Amino acid sequence: MSVGPSPLRLSLLLGMLFGHPALADDLFLDGSALPEVLTATRLKQSPAAVPGSMTVLDNELIRASGARDISELLRLVPGMMVGAISGNQATVNYHGTNASEARRMQVLIDGRSVYRAGLATVDWSDIPVAMEDIERIEVFRGPNTVSYGANALMAVVNIITRAPANSHGTRFKVTRGQRGISDWYASQGTGWETGDLRLSLSGQEDDGFDKNRLGADYRDSKRLNRVSLSVSQLLNEQQSIDWQLNAKEGTNQRPYTYKPVFYGVTQQGKDSDVIAKDYAGSLRWNLELNAQHSLYIQGSAQHWDRQQTWRACDAAISFSPELTRLWQINPNYAERLARGIKGFSDAGAPPPGSPAEQAIAQQVLTQWSAGGKQTVCGNIDQSTRETRYDLELQDTLSLSDNLRLVSGMNYRYDRADSETYFNGTLDDTTWRLFGQLEWRASEHWLIQGGAMYEDTQLTGNSLTPRIAVNYLINPRHGLRAVYSEAIRSPDMFENNVNWSYRVTGLSSPVYGQSSAQYFVRTRGPGNLDQEHMRSRELGYNGYFVDQALNLDIKLFYDEISGMISEPLRNNQYIASNSNSSRFSGSESQLDWQLSRADRLRLTYAYVHAQASNRLDQRLTASNSGSAGWLRQWGQGWSSALFYYGDSALNGYRFERIDTRLAKRLALGKANLELAGTLQQRLDHQPSTFADNRYDSRHVVYFSAELEF
Amino acid sequence: MARQRPSGALGMRRRLGWGLFLLSLLLCAPLRAADVLLTASEDNPAVRTFTAELAAQRPQDQVRFVALEQLPAPGQLPSATRLILLDPQSLDWRLQDPRGPATLVLRISRLQAQQRLQGTHPPGLSLLWSDPPPSRQLHLIRKVLPQARRVGVLYSEDSQFLLNELRGAAQSLGLEIVAEPWDSTHDSRPLQNLLRNSDVLLGLDDPKLYNPKTVKNLLLSSYAQQRALIGPNAGFVRAGSLASTYSDQQDWLKTLDSLLEQAPNRWPRALYPADFKVLSNPQVARSLGIEEIDPQAVARQLSEGEQRP
Repeated sequence: MSVGPSPLRLSLLLGMLFGHPALADDLFLDGSALPEVLTATRLKQSPAAVPGSMTVLDNELIRASGARDISELLRLVPGMMVGAISGNQATVNYHGTNASEARRMQVLIDGRSVYRAGLATVDWSDIPVAMEDIERIEVFRGPNTVSYGANALMAVVNIITRAPANSHGTRFKVTRGQRGISDWYASQGTGWETGDLRLSLSGQEDDGFDKNRLGADYRDSKRLNRVSLSVSQLLNEQQSIDWQLNAKEGTNQRPYTYKPVFYGVTQQGKDSDVIAKDYAGSLRWNLELNAQHSLYIQGSAQHWDRQQTWRACDAAISFSPELTRLWQINPNYAERLARGIKGFSDAGAPPPGSPAEQAIAQQVLTQWSAGGKQTVCGNIDQSTRETRYDLELQDTLSLSDNLRLVSGMNYRYDRADSETYFNGTLDDTTWRLFGQLEWRASEHWLIQGGAMYEDTQLTGNSLTPRIAVNYLINPRHGLRAVYSEAIRSPDMFENNVNWSYRVTGLSSPVYGQSSAQYFVRTRGPGNLDQEHMRSRELGYNGYFVDQALNLDIKLFYDEISGMISEPLRNNQYIASNSNSSRFSGSESQLDWQLSRADRLRLTYAYVHAQASNRLDQRLTASNSGSAGWLRQWGQGWSSALFYYGDSALNGYRFERIDTRLAKRLALGKANLELAGTLQQRLDHQPSTFADNRYDSRHVVYFSAELEF
Repeated sequence: MARQRPSGALGMRRRLGWGLFLLSLLLCAPLRAADVLLTASEDNPAVRTFTAELAAQRPQDQVRFVALEQLPAPGQLPSATRLILLDPQSLDWRLQDPRGPATLVLRISRLQAQQRLQGTHPPGLSLLWSDPPPSRQLHLIRKVLPQARRVGVLYSEDSQFLLNELRGAAQSLGLEIVAEPWDSTHDSRPLQNLLRNSDVLLGLDDPKLYNPKTVKNLLLSSYAQQRALIGPNAGFVRAGSLASTYSDQQDWLKTLDSLLEQAPNRWPRALYPADFKVLSNPQVARSLGIEEIDPQAVARQLSEGEQRP
């Protein structure tokens, strides 16, 4: 009696495989049942057939760049505008918009969005992933809400970490350099019969920029520690699970920016650093029903904790209920009164205004004279806590050799908790349905289209379509035309902010209380609509086999309407959907393996931005690009040379050359890599903002990495 | 019978004719009505089908299958028998006895032979390799991935002996073999290293490395690096290898047919079948951006190349 598949079943299987009845029951074809691994559902489009523009930053490039931050790596992506608000706050946007708020790009780590819904931002330096754990970064240049959900408005950055199965062994890395650079990394990976895991610990420190525009020390250093655990486990032939736990704690320095509003206050606090803690956990269950049908369910939970408290001093009148009422009636009037209170008090008359305003202002002036001018100091707590639960089901069905359907649904719950920003807790739920059909109409024509329907509790629903046509001249060369629409839901901050400061621990009681409400209070409109993007793209992607050269060219014309452009400020934040922007231009990207030892990579983007709000033109460099040359010199030596240039980011030119030289040494079974990186700025400008200045135009850091 | 023979010129001529016929029968006897005996440890429909097809192809021979357990020691079989072994167990049985009829060993790979024979080559045995010849696989690489230069090869201590031959074959094609030992398949670092340092992966028919347990890691890792795997066999192509050459039952029937036409003393000591096919995975090719592979055309071109060395 034979155990295992019966000959009949085996022959059927082989018959199906070869589609040739004569071959059924073949004694010479290996009958050991191998599972179909690279199934139609698992295989991706070839680069020429991708329905859009894609830049892949592979492992080799990431390592060679010497970059310490994910945001720095994105300089290698054509059209990506990478700037800095401060040394620990990168600002990254594709094609541009506002320099201080980059909120129109989706960022995912292994499928989990790290875009903070509460405050409409991505904290690049707080992402709980070490550079050493990144396998590659796929940047989808263009809107793609159908595949990545709302907020994938301008681009999607998809960070893919190394699979635990590919991280076996032990790694230690230490980096030290100028500007207080002090990083470390340690990881251990192991595998067993049915699974693998990787545990990694890492830390990062640097001083940020050296000085502000006045030449004073700039308080923007950062320090952080991370821990991450990634496990994949095979349950059986069809099922597997992957789960991850990530945690990060650190401190981001913030300069003290509070300036007393009222006359005569000289005392002030010191700093307003942020203690940032991030926690994330995700679990993904993969099910392969058969070679034509697979699905996964991924659930994740994330928590962002930003603790920011500082001591501020101002006149006691800041807490006057009358002044608060006046602010609510007319913030402009209240601000005028507050800033000029001494003058108005001396003159004995409030500023001109309506009788009601003047009546209240008179009361305020009386309070000013009756002890209101006394300086009071207290604690301000601007902390936020955000929590997100996300559940996604995605189903991939290969209907035939030429037709594939990807569909799914997503549920997300977001909660933001902040006394200052939301006067307590605010939450939101989002439902999403999406579907995309890929149809290979012929050997040359590929049509891919889809739509996403989203319903958000706070902002209502929307439907966004997307269609792409690829013409494959041959499998390696393709032309594409893409039309897509995308939306961005206003985040809780933009729409529902309820911004006020409750000052506690007052140095002297105000109205008999040790805590009091500051008079400035800002509320979001609550009825903002989604921003809407219409994007048109023509492109070419080709791989020249003989030259080993990959070329991608793209022409684009993108329009954003209903744009929320108002900066998030607590004095007079009047958000609306009244703005619009247009971005047009071209991008190209070339990756050339010149020889076995040399790799050349060039990117260039020309972007023309037109925006109804001039702030939305600030982060667009009309000419930007990068050039890289990687070389293996043999005997363990390798080098990389990169040039990055932006004609103007927020008005400042940026040009830098990065050089990395590395030597690999074999120590028995272990490998040691010693590397030095030199970054040399070529221009004399501050980085993105006037306060971002270095003492020296160059920085050097060294790293040693041991692997065994 | 002799007593009834006719006399006279006609009789003479008839006698001569018979004589010639007998002579020719005598000369051709080993080539014609041969006793072809197939054996394997297990009797199953696949074996029976094969036997039946071989019998149909060689009506002049007496082709039969006898299960291994029913056979005497090899030395006790008539020496004129042509023995065909269909599995390693039957080879073990055949090796017990240095005497015995001329034997064709089928369904044996280079690796299995190396393990069982340790480099020796017992007389009377003709080994017909089941794994695709390395040079043919390398030619296939040249054909479907003309830009590939560095061919990555994972090996175990079992398959290490193949490397020299592989290197020689690669050199003549302008290819370079990048070999990496893979001692423990739980540790994927050698695979990762190899993928980084090669343009394409060539799978050896080494069950320690290429088996149902490792197939997922092998294929997913190479796909993640956009590297194609060539080989090691047709089953792997179905799982996600880009392509492989292979010989199926029809090819083996042709090969056997031509061998059975020859006298056993002319049988080669070892042989790769000249008849083969190419199998490719069009979905994988498409995803890797590789021109569609026409298996028949490629097989024909490879075969033509082999015929004019």
